[in-house]
Amino acid sequence: MNKTKRFIIVLVVLAVAFAFLLPSIQWYALTPKEDQALALGSREQIREFAWRMARTDLAEIERLVASSDAGPLPERFAPVVSRAKKIYKAVGITAPETWNAKAFLAAFDNRNDALAELEDYHRARVLSLKKLHGSAVQLGLDLSGGMSVVIRADLEALEAKTGKPLSPAERDDAVVRAVEVLNNRIDKFGLTEPVIRRQGEDRIYVEIPGAADPERINGIIMGRGRLAFHIVDEEATASLTAYLETNPLAINDDMKLSDPSLIPADTIVRKYYTKDKYGLDEWTGSYMVIKAEAGLDGNHIESATVSSDPVTGQPEVVFSLDKEGGELFYALTSANVDKTMAVVLDDRVRTGARISGPIQANVKITGFAADEANNLALILRSAALPVELIVESQQAIGASLGEDSILEGRNAILIGLIAVFVFMLVYYKGAGVNAAIAQVLNLYLMFSILSAFNLTLTLPSIAGFVLTIGMAVDANVIIFERIKEELREGKGRKAALEAGFNKAFWAVMDGNITTIIAALFLSQLGTGSIQGFAVSLAIGNMSSLFTALFVSRLLFDFNTDVFKHKAVSISWRVK
Amino acid sequence: MKRVIKFHKAFLPAVIGSAILITVGLVGLLTMGLNLGVDFQAGINQSVQLAFPAADVSYDGAGSPVLSIGEDTLSVVFSGAEVESRTASWDLRTVGTVADLASAMKAEGLTMSIRDGAGLSADLLVPTYQGDYTLGKGSVLVHRGPKSDAEIYGSIESIREAVSGIGSVSVQSVGAESSMQYMIRISDDGMDKAFSEKMPALIRSALESKFGTGKVVTIKTDYVGARFSKDLSDSAWKLTLFTSLAILAYATIRFKLQYGLGAVLAILHDGLIMVGFIVWTRMEFNTTSIAAILTILGYSINDTIVIFDRIREDRKLDPGAKLSAVIDKSVTETLGRTIITTLTTMLAVFSLYIFTSGSIKDFALALLVGMVSGTYSTVFIATGFVHLWENIKNKRQPKPATGQMVAKPAH
Repeated sequence: MNKTKRFIIVLVVLAVAFAFLLPSIQWYALTPKEDQALALGSREQIREFAWRMARTDLAEIERLVASSDAGPLPERFAPVVSRAKKIYKAVGITAPETWNAKAFLAAFDNRNDALAELEDYHRARVLSLKKLHGSAVQLGLDLSGGMSVVIRADLEALEAKTGKPLSPAERDDAVVRAVEVLNNRIDKFGLTEPVIRRQGEDRIYVEIPGAADPERINGIIMGRGRLAFHIVDEEATASLTAYLETNPLAINDDMKLSDPSLIPADTIVRKYYTKDKYGLDEWTGSYMVIKAEAGLDGNHIESATVSSDPVTGQPEVVFSLDKEGGELFYALTSANVDKTMAVVLDDRVRTGARISGPIQANVKITGFAADEANNLALILRSAALPVELIVESQQAIGASLGEDSILEGRNAILIGLIAVFVFMLVYYKGAGVNAAIAQVLNLYLMFSILSAFNLTLTLPSIAGFVLTIGMAVDANVIIFERIKEELREGKGRKAALEAGFNKAFWAVMDGNITTIIAALFLSQLGTGSIQGFAVSLAIGNMSSLFTALFVSRLLFDFNTDVFKHKAVSISWRVK
Repeated sequence: MKRVIKFHKAFLPAVIGSAILITVGLVGLLTMGLNLGVDFQAGINQSVQLAFPAADVSYDGAGSPVLSIGEDTLSVVFSGAEVESRTASWDLRTVGTVADLASAMKAEGLTMSIRDGAGLSADLLVPTYQGDYTLGKGSVLVHRGPKSDAEIYGSIESIREAVSGIGSVSVQSVGAESSMQYMIRISDDGMDKAFSEKMPALIRSALESKFGTGKVVTIKTDYVGARFSKDLSDSAWKLTLFTSLAILAYATIRFKLQYGLGAVLAILHDGLIMVGFIVWTRMEFNTTSIAAILTILGYSINDTIVIFDRIREDRKLDPGAKLSAVIDKSVTETLGRTIITTLTTMLAVFSLYIFTSGSIKDFALALLVGMVSGTYSTVFIATGFVHLWENIKNKRQPKPATGQMVAKPAH
């Protein structure tokens, strides 16, 4: 391969690496903290934010219309105005000269369309920031602060309770139920979006970035899911919904109203949820006013299954109640025929069903898609057969400790790098510059690979990088020593370089491949921190192969052919 | 040509020396055992700091801003639908006294009512270790460290006394005495299923009843359950075994069986030396230590392979030479590289050792020891084994080896 080709390859690699690094630079250096805080919120919080912002914005625009203000809209509306412009264009109306409130509203058929557009804008903006965060290098809990918990679903206890061994499907179902309960309650954390992942057969991994207060978090995670049936106050629901349309800030995150007299005294407000396409809870954007006192507690449920209606084939959820529950349910349904009954799990309304008549032991709920029916049955079963959860391991690290660790890691990398540079420059003179450039590129490539594969940066992985800086020089050293030997034998610059690189090639490859083998095995040792270290070690080894064998060679050849160097500046003794 | 150093003469003394060191290590391991860290022993590790309640911070405006105090800065992030998004931050080193900070925060609508130490430097404020506080009408308590040595209270003994009623406890002090930071470890005997949930609150209340309400700040909490730690030690053994086997397989394919065995012997040597070091220094043995050992396996194998590669090459150049002479020549030729690589890697690891703290510092120290052992074992143990193997083989069947040599010159 000629030099130009190799040079182009190096440039392409550098450019691709930069493209991978870009999201990290944008997120960590260019996104203001307050936007970061918004984007790190859970999807529900973002939804809520967009919901409120849209209503606040629209209220302001309507006020401007009412006061017949013909001046252009304030600057902060510019992005939504450009959306309105598109609508004008699509319908074929000439755009007005000044974009005032009236002209803006005229783009929409009705108030709801305008609201939907505004909500969509705010949501899309925060979600795109969230996406940016997702493609940037992630900081591990030890650097960002936060808490991770490994929880085990106690299947033995469940077997003891049911009195028979569980089939594999039942075991699986039990863990799925436990994940469901966790999903349901863990969203309640302040700032950041939690991670809930199933690990192996019966373990669940939970990570909550930012928060590091085990006393508070344990209470929320380990408390049992509480399922109950509440009767819905439909009049109050309708009037509250109408009121909130124009006064979105009248309700806070804890679903407390600023004016409690808006709803009857014996009722409370709860949000209505569905599952989104990823199986995560999603707030529908609507509130329900329900009786504060539960009509029936979920622990009366004995079983819940999904079947299909023999006539219509529609899926239906059937659940049975114990004797006491059946009597209570009969009384409840008799008194509330034609009203709606809400199924509430941990303060979230999961579904509402109309009571068609008095019901005793076996309850049938119809009118869903198959997915929804399965979800509801799962929730009902989680109340019937609660799975006990046991904390297997737990780690909580404060954010400020994380900042200290980042500083420590940065210093270790910088000083390590400088020490190695100085050594290489003193020992290898001109060729040392070559090795130094290769090292800087190596570090750059390592971070970009980390970013490209969305890996997590932890303190151990920084340690891996520092170690790699030292070890990666090895490839250069092997090659340089070889070149020196060739020079001692009296070869000229070109021949010595050629022979040095060729003869050192397999020594470098073998050495690095064995290290990579060790690193890959290491990365299999379950816990995250060791994994991070091993992965960064493997990445560093691979990128150092590239820089030592390819980039450094190119630099030598460049000096030979372009700057017409005849001698090799590689040692104090060998000329 | 450089003078060839007669390395092969040192093989026997080296083996004896290594055997003694490893035996000492193993004796330590059997008599004292490892100082197992939280990863391998069921229990809770809670780091706490004793401090003084300094001020209550509250906020009466719209939205819920988030307060976070770092080592040098205090920042409040306003975001959400109700407020104009912004971040207010103050440098604790330059803002002046706590009272100055309070008046600066007033301008942002934040109320900081000082309980104690208004005239002290704001730099004394304790970071918000347990995550950031969401501010609202209810107040949030921030702490400060001691203003002088005279204010320091608490000691390992007093902490142990306070929490001894909870379970089997060990207490260590973290950092300087003036920081009043301690690590409390309580082991979990598995009797109480809710151990991990109850313990943080129990520790806190025990300390508060001894030292006063609001005087205890939790820094971090780690908990590992019995089953988890067992799984971890199982996988650690498997890992070391499979890594060695994989390296053996690769080295056998690329070289010959005796080279593969020599390489694995050398890395096992390094692993045992490191275990001995960890045992005798009473360094905590945790997942990071396993990582250090496995890293040295990778590092040492790299070293070994480079020398083997050279031995193979030199043998091809001069097939008639005695193996001991070839080994001496190859090791001498690669000696420069061996020393320089060890030096550069040590420079980097040394920087890690100086700048980090806690388990990563131990990790760096273990690596330094492993590196010395790795370099030494490459030169003396791995090549020594190959030498021994071929000597034995040649004694058993000396004829074919010479027979082949006659055929070569005709080529």
